[in-house]
Amino acid sequence: MKVLLLLLFISVSFLQAKNYAVIVRSDAPFEQIKSNDLKNIFLLKRRFIGDQKIIPINLLSNNELRVHFEKNIIKMSRKKLNSFWVKQHFRGISPPTTQASYQSVLKFVTNVQGAVGYVPSSLVNENVKVIYEF
Amino acid sequence: MASLIKRIIIFLTISFELIASDLGSYELGHGYKFNSLLTIGSYLSTEYEVAKDERSFTLDDIALLAYGEVMPNLTYLAELEAVKFYKYDFKNGIDETNDAFHIERLYFNYRFSDNLVARIGKQITPIGYWNLEPINVLRDTSSNPYYSKYLFPKFLTGVDFSGYTSDSYQTTYHLFAQKNEDLDETYINIPNEHFFGASLEHELNDEISFGGSIGQFKTNSQETFEYIQLNAKYDDTTFALSSEFMLRNGGLDSQKDENTYGGYLQALYHYTPQHTFVSRYEHFYDKSVINKDQLFLLGYSYRPIFPVSFKMEYQWHELKDQNKFLSSFSVLF
Repeated sequence: MKVLLLLLFISVSFLQAKNYAVIVRSDAPFEQIKSNDLKNIFLLKRRFIGDQKIIPINLLSNNELRVHFEKNIIKMSRKKLNSFWVKQHFRGISPPTTQASYQSVLKFVTNVQGAVGYVPSSLVNENVKVIYEF
Repeated sequence: MASLIKRIIIFLTISFELIASDLGSYELGHGYKFNSLLTIGSYLSTEYEVAKDERSFTLDDIALLAYGEVMPNLTYLAELEAVKFYKYDFKNGIDETNDAFHIERLYFNYRFSDNLVARIGKQITPIGYWNLEPINVLRDTSSNPYYSKYLFPKFLTGVDFSGYTSDSYQTTYHLFAQKNEDLDETYINIPNEHFFGASLEHELNDEISFGGSIGQFKTNSQETFEYIQLNAKYDDTTFALSSEFMLRNGGLDSQKDENTYGGYLQALYHYTPQHTFVSRYEHFYDKSVINKDQLFLLGYSYRPIFPVSFKMEYQWHELKDQNKFLSSFSVLF
Protein backbone atom coordinates (compact mmCIF):
# COMPACT_ATOMS: atom_id res chain seq x y z
CA MET A 1 0.00 0.00 0.00
CA LYS A 2 2.84 2.36 0.94
CA VAL A 3 4.56 1.63 -2.35
CA LEU A 4 1.34 2.34 -4.21
CA LEU A 5 0.93 5.68 -2.42
CA LEU A 6 4.56 6.54 -3.11
CA LEU A 7 4.11 5.77 -6.80
CA LEU A 8 0.95 7.87 -6.86
CA PHE A 9 2.78 10.77 -5.19
CA ILE A 10 5.66 10.53 -7.65
CA SER A 11 3.24 10.39 -10.59
CA VAL A 12 1.29 13.43 -9.41
CA SER A 13 4.54 15.34 -8.75
CA PHE A 14 5.76 14.44 -12.21
CA LEU A 15 2.52 15.58 -13.81
CA GLN A 16 2.66 18.86 -11.93
CA ALA A 17 6.33 19.52 -12.70
CA LYS A 18 6.98 23.01 -13.92
CA ASN A 19 9.57 22.71 -16.62
CA TYR A 20 9.56 26.24 -17.98
CA ALA A 21 10.38 29.62 -16.48
CA VAL A 22 9.40 33.16 -17.29
CA ILE A 23 12.47 35.27 -16.68
CA VAL A 24 13.59 38.87 -16.26
CA ARG A 25 16.98 40.40 -15.56
CA SER A 26 18.23 39.59 -12.06
CA ASP A 27 18.06 43.25 -10.95
CA ALA A 28 14.54 43.85 -12.34
CA PRO A 29 12.45 45.83 -9.85
CA PHE A 30 9.69 43.24 -9.59
CA GLU A 31 9.27 39.67 -8.37
CA GLN A 32 6.53 37.07 -8.93
CA ILE A 33 3.62 37.87 -11.23
CA LYS A 34 0.38 36.08 -12.08
CA SER A 35 -0.40 34.22 -15.29
CA ASN A 36 -3.08 36.76 -16.19
CA ASP A 37 -0.46 39.52 -15.93
CA LEU A 38 1.71 37.56 -18.35
CA LYS A 39 -1.19 37.22 -20.75
CA ASN A 40 -1.74 41.00 -20.64
CA ILE A 41 1.98 41.61 -21.14
CA PHE A 42 2.29 39.32 -24.16
CA LEU A 43 -0.90 40.73 -25.72
CA LEU A 44 0.61 44.20 -25.21
CA LYS A 45 -2.27 45.37 -23.07
CA ARG A 46 0.07 45.84 -20.13
CA ARG A 47 3.23 47.80 -20.97
CA PHE A 48 4.50 48.71 -17.49
CA ILE A 49 5.14 47.07 -14.14
CA GLY A 50 5.42 49.98 -11.75
CA ASP A 51 7.56 52.51 -13.60
CA GLN A 52 9.42 49.86 -15.56
CA LYS A 53 8.51 49.55 -19.23
CA ILE A 54 8.09 45.88 -20.17
CA ILE A 55 9.41 44.32 -23.39
CA PRO A 56 7.96 40.83 -23.98
CA ILE A 57 10.12 38.47 -26.03
CA ASN A 58 8.57 35.58 -27.93
CA LEU A 59 10.19 32.56 -29.48
CA LEU A 60 9.60 31.91 -33.20
CA SER A 61 6.08 30.85 -34.05
CA ASN A 62 6.99 27.23 -34.82
CA ASN A 63 8.82 26.71 -31.51
CA GLU A 64 7.16 24.04 -29.33
CA LEU A 65 7.68 26.03 -26.13
CA ARG A 66 5.95 29.04 -27.69
CA VAL A 67 3.00 26.83 -28.64
CA HIS A 68 2.94 25.52 -25.05
CA PHE A 69 3.14 29.09 -23.69
CA GLU A 70 0.28 30.28 -25.91
CA LYS A 71 -1.90 27.34 -24.91
CA ASN A 72 -1.26 27.55 -21.16
CA ILE A 73 -0.63 31.24 -20.47
CA ILE A 74 -2.21 33.22 -23.30
CA LYS A 75 -4.99 30.62 -23.52
CA MET A 76 -5.77 31.41 -27.13
CA SER A 77 -5.62 29.17 -30.19
CA ARG A 78 -3.08 30.06 -32.87
CA LYS A 79 -5.89 31.09 -35.26
CA LYS A 80 -7.53 33.34 -32.70
CA LEU A 81 -4.19 34.83 -31.77
CA ASN A 82 -3.41 35.49 -35.41
CA SER A 83 -6.75 37.27 -35.96
CA PHE A 84 -6.03 39.31 -32.81
CA TRP A 85 -2.68 40.51 -34.23
CA VAL A 86 -4.18 41.22 -37.66
CA LYS A 87 -6.66 43.55 -35.94
CA GLN A 88 -3.84 45.10 -33.92
CA HIS A 89 -1.91 45.74 -37.16
CA PHE A 90 -4.79 47.93 -38.34
CA ARG A 91 -4.52 49.77 -34.99
CA GLY A 92 -0.79 50.31 -35.44
CA ILE A 93 0.46 47.68 -33.01
CA SER A 94 2.99 44.98 -33.91
CA PRO A 95 3.30 41.67 -32.03
CA PRO A 96 6.16 41.21 -29.54
CA THR A 97 9.71 40.83 -30.86
CA THR A 98 10.88 37.27 -31.45
CA GLN A 99 14.18 35.55 -30.78
CA ALA A 100 15.29 32.43 -32.61
CA SER A 101 16.70 30.40 -29.70
CA TYR A 102 16.59 29.96 -25.95
CA GLN A 103 20.14 31.29 -25.72
CA SER A 104 19.21 34.46 -27.58
CA VAL A 105 16.20 34.95 -25.27
CA LEU A 106 18.53 34.60 -22.26
CA LYS A 107 20.99 37.05 -23.80
CA PHE A 108 18.27 39.59 -24.64
CA VAL A 109 16.74 39.38 -21.16
CA THR A 110 20.17 39.71 -19.53
CA ASN A 111 21.06 42.78 -21.59
CA VAL A 112 17.78 44.68 -21.69
CA GLN A 113 16.12 45.98 -18.54
CA GLY A 114 12.38 45.28 -18.69
CA ALA A 115 12.65 42.35 -21.11
CA VAL A 116 10.47 39.35 -20.24
CA GLY A 117 11.06 35.97 -21.88
CA TYR A 118 10.45 32.28 -21.30
CA VAL A 119 12.90 29.38 -21.47
CA PRO A 120 13.23 25.83 -20.14
CA SER A 121 13.89 26.02 -16.38
CA SER A 122 17.13 24.06 -16.83
CA LEU A 123 18.67 27.04 -18.65
CA VAL A 124 18.03 29.61 -15.92
CA ASN A 125 21.31 31.19 -14.75
CA GLU A 126 22.48 33.80 -12.24
CA ASN A 127 21.94 36.71 -14.64
CA VAL A 128 18.16 36.27 -14.66
CA LYS A 129 15.45 35.63 -12.13
CA VAL A 130 12.29 33.60 -12.44
CA ILE A 131 9.01 35.46 -12.02
CA TYR A 132 6.68 32.64 -13.06
CA GLU A 133 6.91 28.90 -13.69
CA PHE A 134 4.65 26.73 -15.80
CA MET B 1 -8.61 54.96 -67.27
CA ALA B 2 -5.18 53.82 -68.44
CA SER B 3 -3.46 55.78 -65.68
CA LEU B 4 -5.88 54.33 -63.13
CA ILE B 5 -5.12 50.77 -64.20
CA LYS B 6 -1.43 51.62 -64.10
CA ARG B 7 -1.75 52.85 -60.51
CA ILE B 8 -3.68 49.75 -59.46
CA ILE B 9 -1.00 47.57 -60.99
CA ILE B 10 1.74 49.51 -59.19
CA PHE B 11 -0.11 49.19 -55.88
CA LEU B 12 -0.71 45.47 -56.30
CA THR B 13 2.84 44.89 -57.54
CA ILE B 14 4.33 46.57 -54.48
CA SER B 15 2.02 44.63 -52.18
CA PHE B 16 2.65 41.25 -53.77
CA GLU B 17 6.38 41.92 -54.10
CA LEU B 18 6.47 42.37 -50.34
CA ILE B 19 4.66 39.09 -49.85
CA ALA B 20 6.62 37.14 -52.40
CA SER B 21 10.05 38.37 -51.49
CA ASP B 22 11.99 36.59 -48.79
CA LEU B 23 11.82 39.44 -46.32
CA GLY B 24 11.69 37.25 -43.25
CA SER B 25 9.50 39.36 -41.01
CA TYR B 26 6.63 39.76 -43.47
CA GLU B 27 3.42 37.91 -42.74
CA LEU B 28 0.17 38.61 -44.55
CA GLY B 29 -2.03 40.76 -42.35
CA HIS B 30 0.84 41.90 -40.14
CA GLY B 31 2.49 44.39 -42.49
CA TYR B 32 6.16 44.63 -43.25
CA LYS B 33 8.24 45.71 -40.28
CA PHE B 34 11.42 47.48 -41.40
CA ASN B 35 12.38 48.36 -37.83
CA SER B 36 10.68 49.69 -34.68
CA LEU B 37 10.28 53.08 -36.38
CA LEU B 38 8.45 51.84 -39.46
CA THR B 39 5.94 49.12 -40.26
CA ILE B 40 3.99 49.51 -43.46
CA GLY B 41 0.78 47.83 -44.49
CA SER B 42 -2.10 48.27 -46.85
CA TYR B 43 -5.58 46.99 -47.52
CA LEU B 44 -8.08 46.90 -50.31
CA SER B 45 -11.61 45.74 -50.90
CA THR B 46 -13.82 45.12 -53.91
CA GLU B 47 -17.58 44.96 -53.88
CA TYR B 48 -20.26 43.70 -56.24
CA GLU B 49 -23.78 45.02 -55.63
CA VAL B 50 -27.12 44.10 -57.14
CA ALA B 51 -30.12 46.21 -56.11
CA LYS B 52 -33.37 47.35 -57.70
CA ASP B 53 -31.79 50.12 -59.75
CA GLU B 54 -28.17 49.20 -59.54
CA ARG B 55 -25.70 46.56 -60.57
CA SER B 56 -22.14 47.65 -60.00
CA PHE B 57 -18.59 46.60 -59.28
CA THR B 58 -16.49 48.80 -57.00
CA LEU B 59 -12.86 48.79 -56.01
CA ASP B 60 -14.02 50.41 -52.84
CA ASP B 61 -11.13 51.03 -50.47
CA ILE B 62 -7.48 51.15 -51.25
CA ALA B 63 -5.24 52.30 -48.46
CA LEU B 64 -1.69 52.50 -47.23
CA LEU B 65 -0.70 52.70 -43.59
CA ALA B 66 2.55 53.26 -41.71
CA TYR B 67 3.26 53.20 -38.02
CA GLY B 68 6.05 52.82 -35.51
CA GLU B 69 7.78 54.04 -32.39
CA VAL B 70 9.54 57.40 -32.72
CA MET B 71 11.07 57.21 -29.23
CA PRO B 72 10.23 55.23 -26.10
CA ASN B 73 6.49 55.60 -25.41
CA LEU B 74 5.91 57.86 -28.44
CA THR B 75 4.27 56.15 -31.41
CA TYR B 76 2.53 57.31 -34.58
CA LEU B 77 0.17 56.04 -37.25
CA ALA B 78 -0.49 57.48 -40.72
CA GLU B 79 -3.07 56.15 -43.16
CA LEU B 80 -3.94 57.35 -46.65
CA GLU B 81 -7.03 56.06 -48.37
CA ALA B 82 -8.93 56.39 -51.62
CA VAL B 83 -12.62 55.45 -51.36
CA LYS B 84 -14.53 54.23 -54.43
CA PHE B 85 -11.23 54.04 -56.27
CA TYR B 86 -12.97 52.58 -59.31
CA LYS B 87 -16.66 51.90 -59.93
CA TYR B 88 -18.33 50.32 -62.94
CA ASP B 89 -22.08 50.64 -63.37
CA PHE B 90 -23.25 47.63 -65.42
CA LYS B 91 -26.75 49.00 -66.04
CA ASN B 92 -25.57 52.22 -67.65
CA GLY B 93 -22.15 51.08 -68.83
CA ILE B 94 -20.49 53.97 -66.99
CA ASP B 95 -17.31 53.88 -64.97
CA GLU B 96 -16.06 56.37 -62.38
CA THR B 97 -12.67 56.73 -60.81
CA ASN B 98 -11.35 58.43 -57.72
CA ASP B 99 -7.62 58.04 -57.33
CA ALA B 100 -7.25 60.91 -54.86
CA PHE B 101 -5.78 59.65 -51.61
CA HIS B 102 -6.82 61.46 -48.46
CA ILE B 103 -5.69 61.35 -44.86
CA GLU B 104 -7.80 58.75 -43.11
CA ARG B 105 -5.80 58.76 -39.88
CA LEU B 106 -2.75 60.67 -38.70
CA TYR B 107 -1.90 60.73 -35.03
CA PHE B 108 0.72 60.44 -32.32
CA ASN B 109 0.32 58.47 -29.08
CA TYR B 110 2.25 59.17 -25.91
CA ARG B 111 2.00 56.46 -23.26
CA PHE B 112 2.52 57.95 -19.80
CA SER B 113 1.48 54.70 -18.16
CA ASP B 114 -1.01 51.88 -18.72
CA ASN B 115 -3.59 54.16 -17.14
CA LEU B 116 -2.95 57.18 -19.34
CA VAL B 117 -2.27 57.33 -23.07
CA ALA B 118 -2.65 60.63 -24.91
CA ARG B 119 -3.46 60.54 -28.62
CA ILE B 120 -3.47 63.67 -30.73
CA GLY B 121 -4.44 63.98 -34.40
CA LYS B 122 -7.03 62.52 -36.74
CA GLN B 123 -8.23 59.20 -35.35
CA ILE B 124 -11.16 56.81 -35.28
CA THR B 125 -13.74 57.92 -32.72
CA PRO B 126 -13.56 55.43 -29.82
CA ILE B 127 -17.20 54.35 -29.73
CA GLY B 128 -18.37 50.73 -29.48
CA TYR B 129 -17.07 47.84 -31.58
CA TRP B 130 -18.00 48.45 -35.18
CA ASN B 131 -16.45 51.88 -35.48
CA LEU B 132 -13.08 50.63 -34.23
CA GLU B 133 -12.77 47.95 -36.91
CA PRO B 134 -14.46 49.66 -39.84
CA ILE B 135 -12.62 48.19 -42.83
CA ASN B 136 -14.15 45.45 -44.94
CA VAL B 137 -11.57 42.75 -44.21
CA LEU B 138 -12.03 43.02 -40.43
CA ARG B 139 -15.82 42.94 -40.61
CA ASP B 140 -18.07 39.91 -40.95
CA THR B 141 -20.35 41.49 -43.56
CA SER B 142 -19.71 43.54 -46.69
CA SER B 143 -22.12 46.21 -45.49
CA ASN B 144 -21.97 48.52 -42.51
CA PRO B 145 -25.06 48.98 -40.33
CA TYR B 146 -26.97 52.26 -40.47
CA TYR B 147 -25.94 52.73 -36.83
CA SER B 148 -22.31 53.17 -37.83
CA LYS B 149 -22.93 55.55 -40.74
CA TYR B 150 -25.34 58.29 -39.76
CA LEU B 151 -25.46 58.79 -36.00
CA PHE B 152 -22.06 60.10 -34.92
CA PRO B 153 -18.80 61.36 -36.51
CA LYS B 154 -16.71 58.31 -37.31
CA PHE B 155 -13.49 60.31 -37.04
CA LEU B 156 -12.16 62.81 -34.59
CA THR B 157 -9.43 65.42 -35.12
CA GLY B 158 -8.42 66.26 -31.61
CA VAL B 159 -7.17 64.66 -28.47
CA ASP B 160 -8.13 61.40 -26.78
CA PHE B 161 -7.00 60.34 -23.31
CA SER B 162 -7.41 56.65 -22.64
CA GLY B 163 -6.18 53.85 -20.42
CA TYR B 164 -7.06 51.04 -18.06
CA THR B 165 -8.89 52.04 -14.92
CA SER B 166 -7.29 49.44 -12.63
CA ASP B 167 -4.64 46.72 -12.38
CA SER B 168 -7.17 44.13 -13.48
CA TYR B 169 -6.82 45.48 -17.06
CA GLN B 170 -10.49 44.78 -17.68
CA THR B 171 -11.91 48.27 -17.98
CA THR B 172 -10.75 50.92 -20.42
CA TYR B 173 -11.85 54.53 -20.60
CA HIS B 174 -11.69 57.23 -23.29
CA LEU B 175 -12.14 60.96 -22.87
CA PHE B 176 -11.94 62.83 -26.17
CA ALA B 177 -12.33 66.34 -27.48
CA GLN B 178 -12.27 68.23 -30.76
CA LYS B 179 -12.55 72.00 -31.01
CA ASN B 180 -11.17 72.64 -34.49
CA GLU B 181 -11.70 71.71 -38.13
CA ASP B 182 -11.29 68.13 -39.25
CA LEU B 183 -7.83 67.43 -40.61
CA ASP B 184 -9.23 66.12 -43.89
CA GLU B 185 -12.99 66.26 -44.33
CA THR B 186 -13.14 64.26 -47.53
CA TYR B 187 -14.30 60.96 -46.06
CA ILE B 188 -15.86 62.28 -42.86
CA ASN B 189 -19.49 61.29 -42.51
CA ILE B 190 -20.41 64.24 -40.27
CA PRO B 191 -17.97 67.19 -40.60
CA ASN B 192 -17.79 69.18 -37.37
CA GLU B 193 -15.65 71.53 -35.32
CA HIS B 194 -16.97 70.61 -31.88
CA PHE B 195 -17.02 67.09 -30.51
CA PHE B 196 -16.69 65.97 -26.91
CA GLY B 197 -17.27 62.51 -25.54
CA ALA B 198 -16.44 59.73 -23.14
CA SER B 199 -16.64 55.95 -23.29
CA LEU B 200 -16.10 52.95 -21.04
CA GLU B 201 -15.53 49.34 -22.06
CA HIS B 202 -15.42 46.39 -19.66
CA GLU B 203 -14.17 42.88 -20.47
CA LEU B 204 -15.90 40.62 -18.00
CA ASN B 205 -13.89 37.63 -19.26
CA ASP B 206 -12.50 36.33 -22.57
CA GLU B 207 -16.04 35.85 -23.90
CA ILE B 208 -18.15 38.73 -22.61
CA SER B 209 -17.65 42.48 -22.85
CA PHE B 210 -19.90 45.50 -22.66
CA GLY B 211 -19.63 49.26 -22.63
CA GLY B 212 -21.17 52.60 -23.41
CA SER B 213 -20.51 56.15 -24.55
CA ILE B 214 -21.90 59.64 -24.20
CA GLY B 215 -21.05 62.74 -26.19
CA GLN B 216 -22.00 65.93 -27.91
CA PHE B 217 -21.07 67.31 -31.34
CA LYS B 218 -21.97 70.32 -33.43
CA THR B 219 -22.06 69.95 -37.21
CA ASN B 220 -20.68 72.53 -39.62
CA SER B 221 -24.29 73.58 -40.25
CA GLN B 222 -24.48 74.50 -36.53
CA GLU B 223 -26.78 71.65 -35.49
CA THR B 224 -25.93 70.37 -32.01
CA PHE B 225 -26.53 66.74 -31.06
CA GLU B 226 -26.11 64.73 -27.88
CA TYR B 227 -25.96 60.95 -27.81
CA ILE B 228 -25.88 57.98 -25.51
CA GLN B 229 -24.65 54.61 -26.77
CA LEU B 230 -24.52 51.05 -25.41
CA ASN B 231 -22.77 47.93 -26.69
CA ALA B 232 -22.39 44.31 -25.60
CA LYS B 233 -20.70 41.24 -27.06
CA TYR B 234 -20.47 37.50 -26.42
CA ASP B 235 -17.87 35.51 -28.35
CA ASP B 236 -16.89 31.91 -27.59
CA THR B 237 -15.01 31.48 -30.92
CA THR B 238 -17.78 29.23 -32.33
CA PHE B 239 -20.73 31.47 -31.70
CA ALA B 240 -20.75 35.26 -31.33
CA LEU B 241 -23.49 37.71 -30.56
CA SER B 242 -22.97 41.47 -30.62
CA SER B 243 -25.22 44.47 -30.34
CA GLU B 244 -24.89 48.24 -30.35
CA PHE B 245 -27.50 50.91 -29.93
CA MET B 246 -27.41 54.70 -29.98
CA LEU B 247 -30.01 57.30 -29.05
CA ARG B 248 -29.39 60.84 -30.26
CA ASN B 249 -31.30 64.04 -29.75
CA GLY B 250 -30.91 67.62 -30.95
CA GLY B 251 -30.59 68.95 -34.46
CA LEU B 252 -32.54 71.72 -36.10
CA ASP B 253 -35.29 73.39 -34.07
CA SER B 254 -37.95 71.53 -36.03
CA GLN B 255 -36.37 68.19 -35.16
CA LYS B 256 -35.32 68.75 -31.56
CA ASP B 257 -38.30 67.02 -30.04
CA GLU B 258 -37.77 63.91 -32.11
CA ASN B 259 -35.02 61.47 -31.20
CA THR B 260 -32.92 59.67 -33.75
CA TYR B 261 -31.96 56.13 -32.87
CA GLY B 262 -30.35 53.12 -34.44
CA GLY B 263 -28.93 49.79 -33.50
CA TYR B 264 -28.19 46.28 -34.58
CA LEU B 265 -28.08 42.75 -33.23
CA GLN B 266 -25.68 40.46 -35.06
CA ALA B 267 -25.16 36.71 -34.66
CA LEU B 268 -22.23 34.75 -36.05
CA TYR B 269 -21.74 31.04 -36.31
CA HIS B 270 -18.22 29.89 -37.17
CA TYR B 271 -18.86 26.50 -38.75
CA THR B 272 -15.07 26.27 -38.99
CA PRO B 273 -12.54 29.09 -38.55
CA GLN B 274 -12.77 29.60 -42.34
CA HIS B 275 -16.54 29.39 -42.86
CA THR B 276 -18.86 31.76 -41.03
CA PHE B 277 -22.58 32.33 -41.27
CA VAL B 278 -23.93 35.69 -40.19
CA SER B 279 -27.31 37.26 -39.58
CA ARG B 280 -28.11 40.80 -38.51
CA TYR B 281 -31.19 42.76 -37.59
CA GLU B 282 -31.06 46.54 -37.78
CA HIS B 283 -33.46 49.24 -36.78
CA PHE B 284 -32.94 52.89 -37.68
CA TYR B 285 -34.98 56.05 -37.40
CA ASP B 286 -33.78 59.52 -38.38
CA LYS B 287 -36.18 62.18 -39.52
CA SER B 288 -33.44 64.11 -41.30
CA VAL B 289 -31.89 61.33 -43.39
CA ILE B 290 -33.92 58.36 -44.52
CA ASN B 291 -36.96 58.31 -42.26
CA LYS B 292 -37.20 54.79 -40.95
CA ASP B 293 -35.93 51.41 -41.99
CA GLN B 294 -35.55 47.95 -40.57
CA LEU B 295 -33.53 45.29 -42.23
CA PHE B 296 -32.65 41.67 -41.83
CA LEU B 297 -29.50 40.30 -43.35
CA LEU B 298 -28.19 36.81 -43.99
CA GLY B 299 -24.62 36.31 -45.07
CA TYR B 300 -21.69 34.01 -45.44
CA SER B 301 -18.00 34.69 -45.10
CA TYR B 302 -15.03 32.61 -46.20
CA ARG B 303 -11.56 33.34 -44.87
CA PRO B 304 -8.89 30.94 -46.16
CA ILE B 305 -6.68 32.86 -43.75
CA PHE B 306 -7.87 35.66 -41.50
CA PRO B 307 -6.54 38.65 -43.49
CA VAL B 308 -8.25 37.46 -46.70
CA SER B 309 -12.03 37.59 -46.81
CA PHE B 310 -14.71 36.63 -49.33
CA LYS B 311 -18.22 37.62 -48.25
CA MET B 312 -21.74 37.62 -49.60
CA GLU B 313 -25.03 38.74 -48.09
CA TYR B 314 -28.63 39.50 -48.91
CA GLN B 315 -30.53 42.31 -47.19
CA TRP B 316 -34.30 42.47 -46.80
CA HIS B 317 -35.42 46.01 -46.02
CA GLU B 318 -38.65 47.40 -44.68
CA LEU B 319 -38.18 49.94 -47.47
CA LYS B 320 -38.78 47.39 -50.25
CA ASP B 321 -36.75 49.09 -52.97
CA GLN B 322 -33.66 48.90 -50.75
CA ASN B 323 -33.34 45.10 -50.88
CA LYS B 324 -29.93 44.16 -52.22
CA PHE B 325 -27.29 41.50 -52.75
CA LEU B 326 -23.70 42.32 -51.87
CA SER B 327 -20.50 40.38 -52.23
CA SER B 328 -16.97 41.46 -51.56
CA PHE B 329 -13.35 40.45 -51.53
CA SER B 330 -10.86 42.12 -49.23
CA VAL B 331 -7.29 41.74 -48.09
CA LEU B 332 -5.16 43.30 -45.37
CA PHE B 333 -1.51 43.21 -46.37
